[in-house]
Amino acid sequence: MVEVKLHDIGEGMHEGEVIHFFVKAGDSVKVDQPLVEVQTDKVTAELPSPAAGTIKDIKVKEGDVVTVGSVILTIDAASAPSSQKGEEATESKDQPVVEKIVKAPSHTAFAGGIATLNKRVLAAPYTRKIARENGVDIEQIVGTGPGGRVTDQDVYNYIEQPSASVTEVTSDRSVEEKATASTRVYSTSEPEEIPFKGRRKQIAKKMVQSLATIPHVTHFEEIDVTAVMDLKKQLKAMDPDNKRGMNVSVAAFFVKAIQIALKDFPIFNAKLDEEKEVIRLEKNVNIGIATDSDEGLIVPVIQKVEQRNIRDIAVDMKDKITRAKTNKLKGSDLTGSTFTISNVGPLGSIAATPIINHPEVALMAFHKTKKTPVVIGDEIVIRSMMNVSMSFDHRVADGATAVMFTNRVKELIENPYFMTLELI
Amino acid sequence: MTTLVDTKKLTMVQAVTDGMRVMMKEHENVIVLGEDVGQNGGVFRATDGLVAEFGENRVIDTPLAESGIIGTSIGLAMNGFKPIAEMQFLGFIYPAFNQIMTHASRIRARTLGHFTVPMVIRAPFGAGVRAPEIHSDSVEALFTGMPGMKVVVPSNPYDAKGMLVSAIEDPDPVLFLEPMRCYRSTKMDVPEGKYNVPLGKAARLQEGNDVTIFAYGAMIEVVMKAAKSAEEKGIKCDVIDLRTLYPLDKEMIAESVQKTGRAVIVHEAPGTGGLGETIMSLINDTSFLYMKAPIERVTGFDTPVPMFALEDHYLPSADRVVQAIEKVTQF
Repeated sequence: MVEVKLHDIGEGMHEGEVIHFFVKAGDSVKVDQPLVEVQTDKVTAELPSPAAGTIKDIKVKEGDVVTVGSVILTIDAASAPSSQKGEEATESKDQPVVEKIVKAPSHTAFAGGIATLNKRVLAAPYTRKIARENGVDIEQIVGTGPGGRVTDQDVYNYIEQPSASVTEVTSDRSVEEKATASTRVYSTSEPEEIPFKGRRKQIAKKMVQSLATIPHVTHFEEIDVTAVMDLKKQLKAMDPDNKRGMNVSVAAFFVKAIQIALKDFPIFNAKLDEEKEVIRLEKNVNIGIATDSDEGLIVPVIQKVEQRNIRDIAVDMKDKITRAKTNKLKGSDLTGSTFTISNVGPLGSIAATPIINHPEVALMAFHKTKKTPVVIGDEIVIRSMMNVSMSFDHRVADGATAVMFTNRVKELIENPYFMTLELI
Repeated sequence: MTTLVDTKKLTMVQAVTDGMRVMMKEHENVIVLGEDVGQNGGVFRATDGLVAEFGENRVIDTPLAESGIIGTSIGLAMNGFKPIAEMQFLGFIYPAFNQIMTHASRIRARTLGHFTVPMVIRAPFGAGVRAPEIHSDSVEALFTGMPGMKVVVPSNPYDAKGMLVSAIEDPDPVLFLEPMRCYRSTKMDVPEGKYNVPLGKAARLQEGNDVTIFAYGAMIEVVMKAAKSAEEKGIKCDVIDLRTLYPLDKEMIAESVQKTGRAVIVHEAPGTGGLGETIMSLINDTSFLYMKAPIERVTGFDTPVPMFALEDHYLPSADRVVQAIEKVTQF
């Protein structure tokens, strides 16, 4: 009898919600056949069958939240080899050899499946010591050493890579509203209940944690985005079919501008470690992009922005936002952000007080762009204006620094050719 | 402050003789007994000249009966003498094993500390000098598993004299093992008078941070050669000469492996039941969490020491040690 347990799909998850069963008791299953769909706080994943056999006992219901290690269902694997024997016995000698070869690996896969369930991490005692001293669960680390062994460096890399977290959405429409708009029935007098769990609950937890620990200050600025929009248009005109990848989003310029400004103000690309009483300035600039999806807020990360050009950023951002919206992000897409932006402009909104993506130090939200009469010199002209909201951790930085940082971002966005000086 | 002492260049066997001479001069109750130790000066000439200097009452030729030599020594030791019994070869000690195991090592415990057995058993041991098989045995582990008796192995003339002095002064029986290969392989400045090298303390022969090599006796020369080859490949070895096999210098063993995280243990005795296993246990007990790689052992094989034509294949070589060093560093 093989017990199918909820294993850690990645990034140290603790529980998941059973969304849907693909099988029912009595069904026969093959190795790797999807059994159940589980929603974690970040991703929706299918658990494949570790063994061939018959579904014996389904222990949980759809909608249940199960913790890692709990048995979801059992498979009577004993039935598989015997039925295979039966199949082999009835196979005529004329059957192509290929057929037999295809069947054979199922035994190997069976053994592999069990091994996956009872995961044994290979690591030297010293490596385990480092992990333990840093409070890292070594089973969460993917080993790169011989035979998949976790090396000392793997642990150090894991420690340096902060865990993924989600941040506040500055969207002006509520996720709950969206999720239920089509099903809301106005004729009943009973209040409708939406389960408060899964990603929603995780978002809530993060928000409370951030707001409870970080003294937030938000200040606002308006930025003239006319020049960067003109530049985008010019680039698009030169490459209408985007064959040369010149059709980049304005948001990619924003990301680059943030990264350049962070180079001048590294205090905003940092983490406060209260326990050790240090502010840790991060080496890489990894920008989290707060993204609205059907499942709620999710923050994919554009890694090492300081090493990438605007076109790369645009391509990566588009890919990750698309996957975020279709719930196809991997765990690694969600980890390691050092500064988060929330680009809510396309949805609307003129200002907000965003909640910082804990344990980061700051977050900047970009709002709606609209044509506005402004005074330049002594003349009133029409320019494309956008508000930004910059929330920062007042324990770590002060208002003056935050204003200077925002001014630098403003300068770069208003004069995009300044960014050419920062090309790497 | 530097103290100048008179020294002379001695081989290990000469240093052993000198150690006995110094102690016999100082203490009238120190006597030497064994087969051919008198006029003949011992099978390796370790007692050469002692009978002329101290007389036949203190340097006693015995019949060819190891159990008698050890049994007599035990009785002498319990009655105020400090006997130094010579076994011609460690492999000849087996008839005396019963005397050592059932009496010498446990009289202190049996008499609740009223009697001790302050005797030294000197025994040349080890292969590599083309002696026949029993003459070449490295059975030190038979005695390290015998609480109550110290087992020591010097690897150079200076330690040989200083440790022999300490062994003679020790209130308990000491098995003083002399690696035959080292008897005349090198000369070293040895102080003329009495000095002590403490028992129970290992020596760090070379400082390194990458891997610790533990060895003793004749294997020291082999591991130093291997450590040099390793260094040419960028691997710095901490080389520890254990010197005392029982009781082991646990502090230095733990300190070194906790620094390097890797260990290679080298001895020519067979691996099974060898001292390497004890050291591995010790590392496991004290330093498990510091280990970056499994511990490697380079030992003789689980066979009697073969006839001399195969002796070099039996003994750990510098090449085998280098391979082990690479294995633990590349793990």
